[in-house]
Amino acid sequence: MTTTAGAQVGVTLYSFTNPWLTRQFDLEGLLREVSRRGMGPNIEIIGFQSFKEFPDISDAFAEKFKELMTEIGLNPVSCAINSDRFLKPGQQPIDDASLIEYHKRQLRSAKKMGFSLVRYQFALPVELLPQIAPYAEELDIRMGVEVHAPMWAGHPAVQAYGEMYDKLDTPYLGWIPDFGGTASRIPESMLDAARAAGAREGLLDRLKEVWLEPGMSHEKAGRLREWALAEGHAPAHIQAASLAFFILANNDPKSWAALVDRTIHIHGKFYGMGADGQEEAIDYGTILPLFRDGGFAGTMVSEWEGHAYSADDGFEQVEAHQAMCRQIFAG
Amino acid sequence: MLPVERVIGEEGLSATADGLRLAMRLPWYRSLPFSTVEIADLAIDGVPVDLGMALVEYDGQSWPLAAMGEQTNAFWFVRDSAFLYLPGVILTPGSEHTVALTINVNPPYIPGMKRANPQTQLLRAA
Repeated sequence: MTTTAGAQVGVTLYSFTNPWLTRQFDLEGLLREVSRRGMGPNIEIIGFQSFKEFPDISDAFAEKFKELMTEIGLNPVSCAINSDRFLKPGQQPIDDASLIEYHKRQLRSAKKMGFSLVRYQFALPVELLPQIAPYAEELDIRMGVEVHAPMWAGHPAVQAYGEMYDKLDTPYLGWIPDFGGTASRIPESMLDAARAAGAREGLLDRLKEVWLEPGMSHEKAGRLREWALAEGHAPAHIQAASLAFFILANNDPKSWAALVDRTIHIHGKFYGMGADGQEEAIDYGTILPLFRDGGFAGTMVSEWEGHAYSADDGFEQVEAHQAMCRQIFAG
Repeated sequence: MLPVERVIGEEGLSATADGLRLAMRLPWYRSLPFSTVEIADLAIDGVPVDLGMALVEYDGQSWPLAAMGEQTNAFWFVRDSAFLYLPGVILTPGSEHTVALTINVNPPYIPGMKRANPQTQLLRAA
């Protein structure tokens, strides 16, 4: 493991969702490619994306995984786990005891493979944290809840978690900011994908206006849909345009300052690196110095999500993003 | 079509003496419990196929499609194909067919979200 003071730049395998789903790489092949390209050593892996045995990893698999990581010089920092409460669509969520056990299974698996923290989700009701946090302490693995669009530092759910964090007062619980919640504009690459799907310019102009208006994401999506249908836009074009409401929000980039102290890991969400070496929608020059100057010493993993609308393999995007972030962290 | 939208598996269509097997991919970025996935519609050459007797085969296991909603602890690994087996649907090996399949996913951590994923492809029955 590399131990360098200050923030580290790594990568999540989620960035390579396209070559993963098309079977261009198996897990070992993808990890070797990440290592070969020097994108680590610190990496994040979504348990339910990359490990077939998840949520119950066997001892044999865990040993093999750890040996491979050592051999290729990667450091498994974050394992993303899921709060799957709604196992039967349209029915009641699973009971609390089952949900707690579901988290414990994933925590055990992550620990066994050598991860030092897990990413968890707000879908876990905050009142269950007192029953899970002691187990994380016992296992010696930290838990960071992902603050993902439409959430941001000022969202009521984040505030409720913050109050519980104050009450439990343990270094094993923290935040994982995802910068998609503080985008300054809709990525041009996303608009281009909607254009390629046939969306007309008038629809995209209206999208850009509505996206900046106040309100909840689903309300804004409804507002655009109502307008667009009345204007004769096709449902498929409206759907392509509406993606922006569900993965991006335009909260103040400086709002992350309130969460820096308890940030244990970061999702460096991004969509497209321009020829100028800058991200097209998220203002990294404003956001990253908040963490750098606030003493953040964990890992920010580059998380390219352009695969939501592009078939690119993500590798060159991640390389450009990492170069930008390393430069900003270096001050 | 993006990789994450694909529902017809690379292994395609195979005709057996007593039925038909169709490879399926999970149209999501991560594995999901089978209970949160719905095989919504299948049509072959424009004719809807009755899925009442269909079986789902995955990783050495098999269960009736009608009971898939109970499979809360069986996970469809996102990189694997699962197979839909249709007893009594007989096709000539080597013949070509237009297959239209729709799979719905209900991500279990996003209450109320249902995404429909239709795909149509011309396949040769192996």
